[in-house]
Amino acid sequence: MSRSTTSERSIAIVDANNFYVSCERVFDPSLEGKPVVVLSNNDGCVIARSQEAKALNVDMAAPWHSIAPIAAMQGVVAVSSNYELYGDMSARSAEILSRYTSDQEVYSIDESFIELTGTLDETIAQAREIRRAMRKLIGLPVSIGIAPTKTLAKLANRGSKQNAALAGVCNLGSYTPDRQTAILASVDVGDVWGIGRRTAKKLAPLGVHTAADLRDADAARIRTRFGVVQARVVHELRGVDCLPIEQVQPEREQIYHSRSFAVPITTVTELEEVLSVYTQRAAARLRKQGSLTRLMRCFTATSPFSDSAAHTNHSVSVAFPEPTDDAALLYRSAIAALGPQLEAGKRYVRAGVTLMELTPRDEHASLDVFGDGDATPPAYGAVIDRIAGKFGEDTLGLGVAGLRHRRGWSMKRDMVSPRATTHWDELATVKAR
Amino acid sequence: MTVVVGPVGGDERPDHLLPQQASEAVHAGFPSPAQGYYNGPVDLNRHLMRDPTATFLVRVSGDSMTGAGIFDGDELVVDRGLDAHDGNVVVAVVNAELTVKRLSYRQGQMVLSPENPAYPEIVLSELDEATIWGVVTRCLHRV
Repeated sequence: MSRSTTSERSIAIVDANNFYVSCERVFDPSLEGKPVVVLSNNDGCVIARSQEAKALNVDMAAPWHSIAPIAAMQGVVAVSSNYELYGDMSARSAEILSRYTSDQEVYSIDESFIELTGTLDETIAQAREIRRAMRKLIGLPVSIGIAPTKTLAKLANRGSKQNAALAGVCNLGSYTPDRQTAILASVDVGDVWGIGRRTAKKLAPLGVHTAADLRDADAARIRTRFGVVQARVVHELRGVDCLPIEQVQPEREQIYHSRSFAVPITTVTELEEVLSVYTQRAAARLRKQGSLTRLMRCFTATSPFSDSAAHTNHSVSVAFPEPTDDAALLYRSAIAALGPQLEAGKRYVRAGVTLMELTPRDEHASLDVFGDGDATPPAYGAVIDRIAGKFGEDTLGLGVAGLRHRRGWSMKRDMVSPRATTHWDELATVKAR
Repeated sequence: MTVVVGPVGGDERPDHLLPQQASEAVHAGFPSPAQGYYNGPVDLNRHLMRDPTATFLVRVSGDSMTGAGIFDGDELVVDRGLDAHDGNVVVAVVNAELTVKRLSYRQGQMVLSPENPAYPEIVLSELDEATIWGVVTRCLHRV
């Protein structure tokens, strides 16, 4: 890793700050400046916190019913998760990013890796412009970390959040090699992208405690002991790009299937064929790893390099009221959402399907993770039965296609914000008073 | 952005005299066959939204903007990508609420005016916090 002033190609990770809370705030400005938590639909646990809620030490994953009395006294506002809203805002942010790069990997609902080209100062200027656009166009605050590799970009991104003076943009190349080493030495090895707590524990006896230790470790030895994935992290920390944009990550926080076509497609029928294959492949991977998805994004794009036609990138997302691994449902949803977007006369050269917000199937089935104590967990099965009884099988409505009913979690109905961008009857209200 | 295309040089086909929406760059000279002049049926989405990614639909509650033709229950097309100028109808955040008003500047001060004499205008000094959420470009009113 060396200080670079003529760097031509960098990787940036663009990450929305407290994404779920930020989405809620766009349509409800009264949440601005308050401690806000977003709760999971099923078990009522905290799954996202605003900065103010973090400052109050509201625990992530805490069951809401157990912390509600104290939280209420502290003025914490709780809202139920609104995956359709988050999915739509996520698709919008991905589309905005596609205006700044031709190489983009939507890594999760609130993070994208993009390629930036230019000198140190140029990439910082581009990142500032992206930040401005995200704030202005869709109201989301983002942080951007820039570095020669994904792993280092992730570290830079941490820095951009921790140091207010950076104003949300950190290019690791801005620092001298000594300073970079100091930064890496301040990061626990378990916090390095792709390492995790379990590997960190095994690394400790080898004297590897920080990101700097891992960077300076013997890559061959790491490879023998831990495998190729961890050895790659060593190289990545040294600034050797081993994880090109779009490569599927080992942790599988999401499943991504995308290809360029040999021949451009122009019709919905062709798109149906493509999506049929892609959704089935993605669903097969999903089942293989025993996960369910809650949110799917599909896109199709024209070539960014064709000179005549303006570059078009249609990106849609579908939220599933219940997590699923049903290939047929994924396919139908993909067609319903993406099909109408296709513009006549355009030549599409690429399409993709991303499954996000994955949950292990087992966990979802039993979901008594928090049921050990005396406190009674929410009656999960009963809730499902109630929904099925009330709305029938069609409760699994397709987000963008339009599920007219409000969700049936009567217990939390008051806390669900409107699906302001995907449902005509739930638009945000503006006062004319 | 809707681009109205007039006659294109070289070809005298009457099609070219009709204004049409072009979603791609238009070059003078003989048109490429791939460019095509049929863009499909008129598309309200394209007509109403300059930039769909930056466009949000909101519903009006109240009658303070009836003078501008905006009534209770109407839907507004709000473009966050546009810069708000003097005279624009805007959605602004006032007192932590989304509100629709006419924007003007008077002696350097931002003024948000209703268009109904029954309501007072809001003059914002530099100290007051008001942010423009987006510029209203269309009102969808049921007749």
